[in-house]
Amino acid sequence: MQLLSGDARRAVFAPLDDGALRSEAVVRRVGSAIALGLLGDGEQLPTETHLATMLNVSTVTLREALAELRKLGLVETRRGRGGGSFVRSRDDVLAELADARLAELGTTDLRELGDVHGAVAAAAARLAASRASRTEIARLRDIVDRLARAESVTDQRRAEGRYFIELAACAQSVRLTMQEMDLHLELGQLPWPPEHVPELLDVIVAGHRAVVDAIEDRDQARARALTEEHIETRTLWSIELRLQRVADDAVRQEVS
Amino acid sequence: MSGPTSRADEVTRVGAAVSAVVERLFGAVAAVRAAALRSSAWDEPRSGRPVLDDSVRDLLRAPGQLAVGLGLVVAPQPGRGLPLRLEWWQVDPDSGRLRTLEPDLKPTSLGYYDYTAAEWFDVPRRTTRRHVVGPYVDVHGTGRYLLTLTEPVVVEGEFVGVAGADVSMRRFETHLLQVLGRLPVPFLLVNGEERVVLSTAPRSPVGSLLPPAAGPAPSGAAVPGIPWRLHLVDDGTLLRA
Repeated sequence: MQLLSGDARRAVFAPLDDGALRSEAVVRRVGSAIALGLLGDGEQLPTETHLATMLNVSTVTLREALAELRKLGLVETRRGRGGGSFVRSRDDVLAELADARLAELGTTDLRELGDVHGAVAAAAARLAASRASRTEIARLRDIVDRLARAESVTDQRRAEGRYFIELAACAQSVRLTMQEMDLHLELGQLPWPPEHVPELLDVIVAGHRAVVDAIEDRDQARARALTEEHIETRTLWSIELRLQRVADDAVRQEVS
Repeated sequence: MSGPTSRADEVTRVGAAVSAVVERLFGAVAAVRAAALRSSAWDEPRSGRPVLDDSVRDLLRAPGQLAVGLGLVVAPQPGRGLPLRLEWWQVDPDSGRLRTLEPDLKPTSLGYYDYTAAEWFDVPRRTTRRHVVGPYVDVHGTGRYLLTLTEPVVVEGEFVGVAGADVSMRRFETHLLQVLGRLPVPFLLVNGEERVVLSTAPRSPVGSLLPPAAGPAPSGAAVPGIPWRLHLVDDGTLLRA
């Protein structure tokens, strides 16, 4: 597989640089790629050697990660002719994985991620308000409509990811577009708030529609401010979900 | 030179240089189209055999080639079991080597490259005429800031796809600015969406849209062969305290 920079899958197989706990990082990366559909159900993964080289991990680490993915049920390995490792998309496992990731992170990590996403997306929204053509604005609107109609959690995640990536493309910026792709691979590792509170999808859709309206009105300041505000809200949701988990764990411990 | 070049002469000179580049790129597209038309792969479309031969790669490697990508994008025909397919080569910006473009064609993916909805595919299909799109960020494809030039490929009266060329905005600009040399007056070249394609006026960089009211008067001159317009502007230096 030759992946070019514009391909969102590139980020899936980009070298890992977070040092410790690398097999877990591989598991998270693959999980997020499945959640975003970058790795489709039934899709064959590259060979172990190739995958290890791409991710810049040892084959030992990679085997550990694949064993874990198999245990989780996200990867199935078949032997013999036509064999290899194949992706299994399972929403229940992905939700558990996201929950486990949330538990690992501190609220500061969530705020940091939100800060960067806010900076990138708000800059993109401001630029899009001056640079997006009518065709591009119509495409943004179409993506938000698709998000509103999406029924499964994975479809919602994908539609929202495409919204932010397209917003950066409307800014006529390759660099902001790449940043969004990388950020979504990280955001895709976290729980999707509407999965916990379904009504939040309406809040998300309304938030994006208001930004697209501002872009159409060529109101740069409003497009920027609304995007910042929306992402701040989202960050606070993640933080609250994280804190709720702590509270739930405490209750569980008291009960037992 | 006997005197200051007139503004009208300048417009003609820039317009001709832009047209020449566009025609040169469409020349490459026509060569890809010819390679597609002489292919026998259309006889058994289901075989999955490549349509294009090595001539396309040679063309992309040819010295002085302005295109950074060339190829054929096949029209999917779900009814006949023919999926989305590209035969597209491009020059890797880092290594200079040729690579095939293998975008994500899974409709359920975040990275789905839905080219049938892309302007460079859809417009030639609908109009049966050649088309230029850009500058635009080729999201989910090459990931570059591009102009894409395409023309329809029709086999036995049936639209089977588009032949096309990508040129990066960097290469397009570098080449044209070099050809044009020193210019007496800053100019803006804008596409049909009023987006700046080439500019020697720092206040209006490539990719920006001309503001509807504040922009130059609609006196812009048409560029032969392409729906772009050229505006001369009075844009003083910004490098001043």
